[in-house]
Amino acid sequence: MSALAVVFHRNRLMSSYLIVAALIAVLLVSGAALSDRFLTLRNLSNLFQQAVVLGLVSLGQTFVILLGGIDLSIGALVSAVTVALASFLEAQPDMIVVGLVAVLVASSAVGALNGILTIALRVHSLIVTLGMSSIIFGAALMYRKEPGGSVPPVIEDLAYGSIGIVPYTAIALIAVYLLAGLWLQRTRSGRMLYFVGGNYESARLNGISVKWVTVLVYTLSGLCAGIAGIFLTAKTGVGDPRIGSALTLQSITPVVVGGTILAGGTGGVFGTFLGLLLVSMLNNLLNFSGISSFYQWVIQGIIIILAVGLRTPKRD
Amino acid sequence: MSTANLRSSEPYSLTIDLALEKFGLAIFLGLLLLVASLVSPVFLRPANLLNLLTVAAPLGMVVLGQTFVILVRGLDLSVASLMATVAVLATVFKATSNEAIPLIFVAAIAFSAMVGLVNGFLVVKRGVSPFLATLATMIILQGIRFSYTGGAPISTLPPGMSTLATGRLLGAPINLWTLGLLAVLLGVMLHKSRFGREIRMVGGNPKAARLVGLSPDRVTILCYVICSVCAGIGGLFLLGYVGTVSNWVGQGYELDSIIAAVMGGVALSGGRGSVFGALMGVAVLIVIANLVILLGLPIEAQQIIKGVIIIGAAAFYRTRLS
Repeated sequence: MSALAVVFHRNRLMSSYLIVAALIAVLLVSGAALSDRFLTLRNLSNLFQQAVVLGLVSLGQTFVILLGGIDLSIGALVSAVTVALASFLEAQPDMIVVGLVAVLVASSAVGALNGILTIALRVHSLIVTLGMSSIIFGAALMYRKEPGGSVPPVIEDLAYGSIGIVPYTAIALIAVYLLAGLWLQRTRSGRMLYFVGGNYESARLNGISVKWVTVLVYTLSGLCAGIAGIFLTAKTGVGDPRIGSALTLQSITPVVVGGTILAGGTGGVFGTFLGLLLVSMLNNLLNFSGISSFYQWVIQGIIIILAVGLRTPKRD
Repeated sequence: MSTANLRSSEPYSLTIDLALEKFGLAIFLGLLLLVASLVSPVFLRPANLLNLLTVAAPLGMVVLGQTFVILVRGLDLSVASLMATVAVLATVFKATSNEAIPLIFVAAIAFSAMVGLVNGFLVVKRGVSPFLATLATMIILQGIRFSYTGGAPISTLPPGMSTLATGRLLGAPINLWTLGLLAVLLGVMLHKSRFGREIRMVGGNPKAARLVGLSPDRVTILCYVICSVCAGIGGLFLLGYVGTVSNWVGQGYELDSIIAAVMGGVALSGGRGSVFGALMGVAVLIVIANLVILLGLPIEAQQIIKGVIIIGAAAFYRTRLS
């Protein structure tokens, strides 16, 4: 036990992982006890279908938070992507590839603009991305005020289709997380992100191009929101200027539950993935349980506190 | 604290940059008011201004509290949910006479203080990040509130509640007086008292604060309590203004209050900020919102202009990267 305590104390991140993993295990066991439909392949693929959008935006948010910033434009951006994609594909059902590439380029560009503004204006990212969120929301409303548009069946297949028993959503989610993990751990630019997030000034003085890293990170966050928007359009089949608004705050939860610190420089995508599993599995399980959604909120709050409050408090 | 002393003893040269940093917010607010009065003759009418202030007051109360939490390197996402929960709490007594109002206020303040204690405890003693701790209380409060109301709006309230929120005293809205009183109280506490110095020290450098014998834990928890109590009071005044408890009273105030405080120069990195600045931040936000409505533009253009002005305002007086 004391050895465990030492490990926990030495490695805060590891203790986050262990606690979140333990909570996931508890959920798995209670889910299996609650319903024999919980631990089925069908439900697992359901889980990924529900988790893919949140997973993608949380990934983008992880990069930004590692840098010490925060991206509040994610929800509006995802909504705008659904509006743009569903409207475009309704008019041009044959130009799927063009539509997909266009929304990805556009959302990356919005992300890049967030990064550039953060640097050029030397304004906190909270303000820049909130302002951007308002602008994107306005732009999406110009297109359409109510949900509408449509997508060809091929797109809907993205959300509901599968290779054998493995849904596309699961493949996409795991692939991007693996890529992101490799990027952060194994590449120069990935390591630079940690350095800049940990200590901006010292990274700058060490000759790291902090501006380039910042723009890259916000661009990636925009790109992630773009991909998330595509999956969300695939899932709902329409464009809705308000559909993503709750995602902005939701995207932060898996990141912080997974041990990444808002101050930047510490954490990673593995933690976010665990956090995502915990949040998604909890929602999935609560749906099974038949508990009123009001009490579900209470339980969600308590689980968040447990996930983070159980680990060894850090002393300064 | 110590840096502030150092700065004021440095040779003082009023460059444009320094002036912008010091007075940028005030200059920007002035410009904004000028533009608003040029754009629409309605803007400067007393009726519009008073209406504006009535709307602004509850947000102002929340921002005051939020400022204290941000000063100790935190943030409080639970304020909006607390406002709505306090609003529901006000209906629990099923009171229809004004005699119940003091009781409602006492209950609301006690409940808010308890929520603040929980937030502070989680952050300080359990090392939960402020974001998650207050997000969790936000969701839990939401659950408790909805399981009580079943999601339906309620309107059994003493008539005096809406008088408090919309009534006038000596020509000014009562809730504006309340905001003023709170602001003076908290301003004196933050800028003139020993406790205020402790707050800025703990926020500026917790390690140093601990070393000189302060108790950062106690100070931080108190700041969360102050924040929650302010939000609770703000919730009651907003409730009086709205008239019915809709379960979502105050929705959006969590982000708005943080943005207003940050625009008002309260640094997210802790330790730096003032009550007056935070209130100016509120004024900027409210005038922007009013301006885009007075322009008579469709909602999409309102949103775009609002976003541009928010970024522009921050760029104008440079809320420094923290």
